[in-house]
Amino acid sequence: MMFVKLVVNVRRCSCYPESFRQQRIGTQEDLRVDGRGCEDYRCAEVETDVVSNTSGSARVKLGHTDILVGVKAEMGTPKWERPDEGYLEFFVDCSANATPEFEGRGGDDLGTEIANTLYRIFNNKGSIDLTSLCISPREHCWILYVDVLLLECGGNLFDAISIAVKAALFNTSIPKVRVLEDEEGSKDIELSDDPYDCIRLNVENVPCIITLSKIGYRHVVDATLQEEACSLASLLVSVTSKGVLTCLRKVGKGSLDPESIFEMMETGKRVGKVLHASLQTILQKEENLGPKRQKVGFLG
Amino acid sequence: MPGDRRRIKGPEKSQAPILYAPPDQVLEEYTREYVPTRDPQRQRPVYVKVGYLSQATGSAYFESGATKIVASVSGPRQAEGGEPPIGLEGRLVCHFRRAPFSAPGPRRSPSGGREEKELSLALQEALVPAVQLQRYPRALLEVSVLVLEDGGSTLAAGITAASLALADASIEMFDLVAACGLALPPGADPAWLLDPVFYEEQQAVVGLTVAFMPVSNQVSGLLGSGEGQAADRWAEGVRLGTEGCQRLYPTMQRWSLHTAAPTPPPQTPTEKADP
Repeated sequence: MMFVKLVVNVRRCSCYPESFRQQRIGTQEDLRVDGRGCEDYRCAEVETDVVSNTSGSARVKLGHTDILVGVKAEMGTPKWERPDEGYLEFFVDCSANATPEFEGRGGDDLGTEIANTLYRIFNNKGSIDLTSLCISPREHCWILYVDVLLLECGGNLFDAISIAVKAALFNTSIPKVRVLEDEEGSKDIELSDDPYDCIRLNVENVPCIITLSKIGYRHVVDATLQEEACSLASLLVSVTSKGVLTCLRKVGKGSLDPESIFEMMETGKRVGKVLHASLQTILQKEENLGPKRQKVGFLG
Repeated sequence: MPGDRRRIKGPEKSQAPILYAPPDQVLEEYTREYVPTRDPQRQRPVYVKVGYLSQATGSAYFESGATKIVASVSGPRQAEGGEPPIGLEGRLVCHFRRAPFSAPGPRRSPSGGREEKELSLALQEALVPAVQLQRYPRALLEVSVLVLEDGGSTLAAGITAASLALADASIEMFDLVAACGLALPPGADPAWLLDPVFYEEQQAVVGLTVAFMPVSNQVSGLLGSGEGQAADRWAEGVRLGTEGCQRLYPTMQRWSLHTAAPTPPPQTPTEKADP
């Protein structure tokens, strides 16, 4: 068995030598408890195609945050206001394994909040080409059920989930179908015999969420649970690979200075671009390994 | 021949007639208040009435053009059941509801759904920074906002109305929260439209709501999404929104004062006359 573990590591190009930076103390001085700078991500592990019963799946581990996303493609009818498009449905399940607070209905509010944010960042024409999910206008389309499972919470859920969703959509393959019409006008849907005859989604413009947590006078990306506890307000931006912002949201019970919002948006844009570039290379590399790739799975 | 009385005469599922209108036809009820060429910075005149519900601790009626909002506050009262409070801070619970008939087009389901949950959270996050919750240990404050008529920028109007209602309930606050809606119309190099009407909101490629506390110069709430825009353009929207809130603030302040010590407030061009 050959194990392939793909590692995305986004580090900012620092103008300071490492040793110099390590001497500085506190977030103010661009050094965090775990030794990162303010704009550094933790090491992320991304693996796609981890669950066999899905059309596409991905697992992302970002520090202690562990996310599993499964995409299932099902056939349905298009929405009446968008007759020639398919659509995506999101569901976020906060299982009690992640933290004891999610016991019972405790995780419901957080789950709805995350799902609503995902709907929001996908609710535009640019993110994903929904017309490719249409089979026959007004009658049949593909519905992609994106189910997010929180296996472990270690801070920065939004970012990790958006990376996992993007990876899972990249991995998604939908069987090709043809619509046959006979003389009487009745339609038949024919599924291709070849299981490898699939359509893939173009995820180039799918945005990733970058959460910037305000701590003191500075802001940090990819906050750990401890850092999240120190932060009163964060700004959540969704950034595409081209560096444009599709969603903007203030999270938390604090407020933000307008000037710091502008700074945070710039940081988000900068960090987002690097993140997208690394993610895209990693996903492509894994894809190129083809079917002979050995899966790492959950114990790797 | 007598028919079957138990059978409902009609299709199982009904649709709004607008569905069958030609695609280029826009009904008049959608374009109410819409002026194709307008000053991007114009704000609709507002009418405010504070403290008009008898059963609530505090309440406010807020009207901005065709948008009509009722906000009420109940509490502070002892938090019952649920999880034990963490720390000594009180809890602020917000509900944002739309009347089933508030918007043109098909009737909304009264249970609300996803959108109302999202807007309730946005309302809560915009109000919490302004309320001194540490002054209400173990207490529960409930804010409920009801949209009677949707004429665009409802979340912004809801936040404004809710903060007026909180002030009317004599809840200790750092500042009033004013909020403004913004929309970016389609087309090449568009300019942000402040306080969009319903039709402008429907057509927009980006929608944004900015909640702002003018005295402390802090943005307390921010929610926006749409087609990808450069960071500069978003920044421009936030800046325009905060300016709009600054202009709205004196009106809010005066009406709050007027309720506390009734004296006829002077009319300004940004206000409607008492209907």
